[in-house]
Parts: sequence; C-alpha cells; structure tokens
Amino acid sequence: MPEPATGVALNTIEVRFTGGMLALNRLLMTLQNKRMPVAGFTVGRDREGMRAIILLDCPPESALRYTALISALEDVNEAGPAQTIEVALIEVSGDWRSAAERAGIEAHEDDGTVVASGEPEEVEYFLASLGVEDVVRLGPVTRPGAGGGV
Amino acid sequence: MENTAFNVEYKPRTGSEAMCEALLDEGVEYLFGYPGGAIMPFYDALPDYPLKHVLTRHEQAAAHAADGYARASGRVGVCVATSGPGATNLVTGLATAQMDSVGLVAITGQVGRPAMGKDSFQETNVMGMTLPFTKHSFLVEDPDELYPTMRRAFEIARSGRPGPVLVDVPKDVQFAPTADKGYRRLREAPPPVESPGLERAAMLLRNARRPLILAGHGVTLGGAEMELRLLAERTGIPVVTTLLGISAFPDDHPLYLGWPGMHGQASVNRAIDRSDLLFAVGMRFDDRITGAAHKFASRAKIIHIDVDPSELGKVIKPTVGIAADAKAAMRSILGHLDNAPVEGEGCKPWREELAKCQEPERCRKESARAEYGPIQIMEAIKAAAGPDLRLVTDVGQHQMWAAQFFEFTKTNSHITSGGLGTMGFALPAAMGVAFAYPEDPVWVVAGDGGIQMNIQELATIRDFGLNIKVAVLNNGYLGMVRQWQQFFHNRRYSETPITGPDYEQLTASYGLAGRTVSEGDDVEAAVRWAQEKEGCAILDFHIDPEANVYPMIPSGMSVNEMIEEDGA
Repeated sequence: MPEPATGVALNTIEVRFTGGMLALNRLLMTLQNKRMPVAGFTVGRDREGMRAIILLDCPPESALRYTALISALEDVNEAGPAQTIEVALIEVSGDWRSAAERAGIEAHEDDGTVVASGEPEEVEYFLASLGVEDVVRLGPVTRPGAGGGV
Repeated sequence: MENTAFNVEYKPRTGSEAMCEALLDEGVEYLFGYPGGAIMPFYDALPDYPLKHVLTRHEQAAAHAADGYARASGRVGVCVATSGPGATNLVTGLATAQMDSVGLVAITGQVGRPAMGKDSFQETNVMGMTLPFTKHSFLVEDPDELYPTMRRAFEIARSGRPGPVLVDVPKDVQFAPTADKGYRRLREAPPPVESPGLERAAMLLRNARRPLILAGHGVTLGGAEMELRLLAERTGIPVVTTLLGISAFPDDHPLYLGWPGMHGQASVNRAIDRSDLLFAVGMRFDDRITGAAHKFASRAKIIHIDVDPSELGKVIKPTVGIAADAKAAMRSILGHLDNAPVEGEGCKPWREELAKCQEPERCRKESARAEYGPIQIMEAIKAAAGPDLRLVTDVGQHQMWAAQFFEFTKTNSHITSGGLGTMGFALPAAMGVAFAYPEDPVWVVAGDGGIQMNIQELATIRDFGLNIKVAVLNNGYLGMVRQWQQFFHNRRYSETPITGPDYEQLTASYGLAGRTVSEGDDVEAAVRWAQEKEGCAILDFHIDPEANVYPMIPSGMSVNEMIEEDGA
C-alpha cells in the first residue's frame, strides 16, 4: 500500500539529474517502486541538465526520507525541497505575459483566468508588478519555472 | 635483413580488453558466468588475462555464486552473462543481492548497437528490466567509456550501502578499439560528519534499564563486529541480531540472546516487547522482524543507525536516527561513553530476568537433542566441521531451524538469502563461499524443494573439486508453505507435496558421494562420513514430513499472537 494521501501536506522536491531517458526511467521507477505518494510530476531540461519537480502528498518527515532516497540515485546531482507555488488571477488588466516573462515565471490563460506558477518570491514580484489583489493561491505545484517545459 | 623489431603493428586495445583490464585493476580474482553470442568478444579476450572464470551451469547460479563470494569475502562479486535469456536468468540473483545489500557487478552482453531496438535475436532491455533491483546500471555505447564505466561500477557496488550494478555492453562495443581515457571518480563521497545524535545515543544507552542491541547485516558489511562486541561489553547490554546479523556477534557470548522475528526465539521477541531502549544498528526493520510495526517495541525508545538515510523512519520512527556507517557510529558512541562512567551493572536485573525467560527454551532444546531431527543434524554438522565452518542455507523451514539451532561462533559464518528469500540460493552461493575460503569447511543446509532449483551446479562443484558438503532436510514437502497451509488454510496441502531424485544415485551420476539418512540411523556417523570424504558429498536426511518451525508469529501480527507449539 502506498503511504495514505493526506490531502493537506504537499511537499515539493526538485531533482537535478543527468543521463537522459535512462536516468528519467530510473527516477520514475524509483517513485513507483517505493510507492511514493506522487501528486504531481513535471520534467524539463535546461543548460544544467534535466530537472524534475515532484509533488509528494505526505508528511514532511516522509518527504525528507524520500528525498534522501532520490538523492542516493547515481544520476541525481541534487535533490531538495523546492518552493513552487501556483496562483490564479480572477481579473487582470495589465500585460500579464510581459510581467510573467520579467518575473521569470510561467503563466497561461485558462478559460479567462490567468494561472501563474513559479518560486514564491518571483510570483510575488509578478503580482506586485500587475497590482492585482483578487488572487486565489492554489498552493505548491510541480510546474517548473524558468528552464522548465516538457 | 629486415629489422622486425620496428615492424610490430600497433593495435589499440579493444572494448573487451578494456573490460578485462578494469577487472584486473579492481583486483578481481574470480568471475562466475556463462558465455553466449553477445558476450563472445569478452570471452575471447578473457584467456589472455589472469582472471579465473567459473563456468556455472545456469546464469542464475552465476549471480548467486558471485553473491556468495561477495558476502563471504567482503569484496565485490562479478557475474557475466550474454544478452536476452542470459541476462534474464541473472534477474533473480540481482534482486537477491539488492535486497540483502550485496556488492555485485553483473556484466551482460547486448546485441550490437545497429541491432538494438529492432527485436533482434536475443535482444532484451536488461537495463529496463533490472531498474527496480539494481543500485545502478550502465549501457555503455561509447567504447572509450568502457574502462572508466567498469571501474565506476565497482565503486558504486561497494560504496555506502552496497548493491548490484549492471554493465550492459553491446557486442560491437566489445570489439571496437578504445582510447585510453583513464578512470576518474565521478562523484566524491562527502566526508563523514559527526552526527549530534551519537552523543544523545550514548546518553540513552547509559541511562536505560532494559536496553537491547539489535544488530543487522550492516554490522557485517561494515566490518563492525569488534565495535559491536566492545559496545555490548562496555555497557553490559544484551545483543540480539536479525537473520542476516547472525554471526556478527558470537552465539556463545554470555550477552547474546538470539534473534527475533516471525520464527525467532519467543524469549527474544518478548525481550524486545519489554525493552525500554532498542539500539538498532545496520538493520532495516524488515517486516519479518517487526510483524505489526505499530506494536513493535512499543515501550522502547529507538536508536536507529543505518548507512542509508532513507531507512530511517521507513518502518519504525526512531527516537534518534543516525545515518552513518555502523563501525564509525559505534566507535564514536564508545568514545562518548568513555567520557562518562557507565553503570556496568545498570541493567544487571534486566539480564537476570532475560536469562530466566530463556530457561524453558533451553530445556526444550535440551530434550529435543535426543530426537532424530533438525537439532541433532545441526549439532552433528557443527561437531564434525569444527569452529571454522561456514554455513550456507537455502530458504524455508530448514533455514529457520539452522538459524535457531546452529551455534555460530565465527564471524560472518552464516550466509543466507534473507530479504528476497530465494529458494535455490544455497548451492551456488556456497560455491562462491568455497572459492573465497578454499581452506574452510563449507556446508549447505537446504530443503528438498530448494536444492532441486539449482541442482545442476553439482557439475560445477565437481569440475572445480569444491569441498562443499550438503545436508538436504527432505520432508517430501515445500515445508514452510505446507506449514502455512496447515495453520491458515485448514491443512489443504495444495501443490506442496514434492518428489525428488534419489540423491545417492544423483550424486553418483555426477561422480560425487551421497548417502541417505533416516530415523534410527547414526546421524553423527553420517555427518562425519561426509566431512571426511574428499570433495562434495550430499546427505539426504529423511525427516518428519509434518514437523513445524516454532515459534511463529503470523504475518502482520505481534508477539502477543505468537504460536509457540503444536495446538497452541
């Protein structure tokens, strides 16, 4: 049985690794093999290699243990807690696309609502530059910020 | 006249030669393997190097033999197979090694690079197949990377928590010329850091009144037997071990209690239940030890030391968790204990209480000595083979009886498949042990089910003249499964009765010696006969078909649900 989902304790782990598809395969196999409670997973590539953001639905001490397990994988250069949050902007008037680019975060429009995600400080900078107040904070997510993209 | 001295053609080394050189540079002496199409270039290079190859009769046996060699010698074991079925046959051996943290390097041939991904003859994705139970795996597509990758594979296999590493090499890469790129360490291990938990652990050890040390395989893997003994003697704390921890601490030491778990001694399970501190070192709280984890050692503070940080809190949440090598951690704790007096007598009442609890078990064992059965057989083997004996067991009832009744006084003298519970492990693993210690007596204790799974290795044993003695505890059943059927499936013995060969005739056909032993025969004389025979001998002990292993804690239950004897 996988660890029961808490529904409230979401922990984000950022994993930097090299080795391409074989390494990704090993990482995914480890997540499945150890029955990690994965609530979200994204992967991207940047200049430093591959980056996966894993959202685990488990208490923080379990997330630490899983991080240790992932860190021990030979392809993994670095694994640690990541802070990626997501916000939804109900009404926005300014040029949110340029603001997102300046802040270095990802943003897209979904049925009239702008959804933005990135590291907390960058998201706050984005919100401040737009001057919006009507924001729904969606919490931690796995969407990569700069360097992301599947 | 032509000067031939200057006409020597320069020939760059091939991938296969680079592989052999890497093996030599790693100090490899023995390889256990089986050739085939995709690994032929490697086998073609092999005779030119001082590497000893052991041709097994099945690739699974090659993996188990390398495993047994690694467990006994503390070095990395090496096995070799071809692509496709050769590689798939290694799988059980790799999983066995992974579960018990054994350092192995498995070399597999792969179809040539142009043929890969095209469902070619004997092509299989061995990398993908073995991902869940290898510590790491490499597919080497660049010939220049072969030598450094091989060296790196050994480094990974033996470092930290050891484990199996697969190196898959396409056939054309083995043929290809390679440039000497040398070897570089890819990632330096971080320097060990003194954990603040170690001082706290020392404090807890000083102040406990009902403490126990629970030692696992990590003690043996870390070569920490002396530190374990020093710690126990310095503190006066009784020692129990896991199944794989057996022989990390001498059985005849006054502080040794035994081993807990599903078939561990009842008194040891109860001791854990009553303890106020459990110092668990180099172990992982396997479900066969804990049963119902939430009820395990519920009164105790837990100090958990393991080299793998991901083990801390996996099953049991420790009071103090220390990610460290067993040897270094216990040395450090001993240092902390030196700074303050330890009440050597502090847990004396606890030791006396435990000794009292063990008394009925001692009496039962004493009375069973007179009966034909497992105790008598184990004691006869120990008496005939002497203190240097190395015992390799298979998986099942006999494994538990051997662990219960055998007295292990020599370090690392008990070898068994604990985590994966691999039937068929013992005979080939014993070959590895015999190669590691050719002068020591090696005995296999196996059931009549498991021994038939790799019985073909008698040919390998004969070819190399290995001095391995085999005791088959033959009850005509897959005994442990039958016992579970008796307890939990209303005696419906579905597919557990099993037949086998006439072992006397079988051994004779291999040119070896065999003898059948039944109730009424002289067990000691038969064992002595086998011990004195040159080379391999098999004793086929016909034992009570429905003998059970006691005690037994049913799976997922606690010490309170322990079954101690028939009808209990």
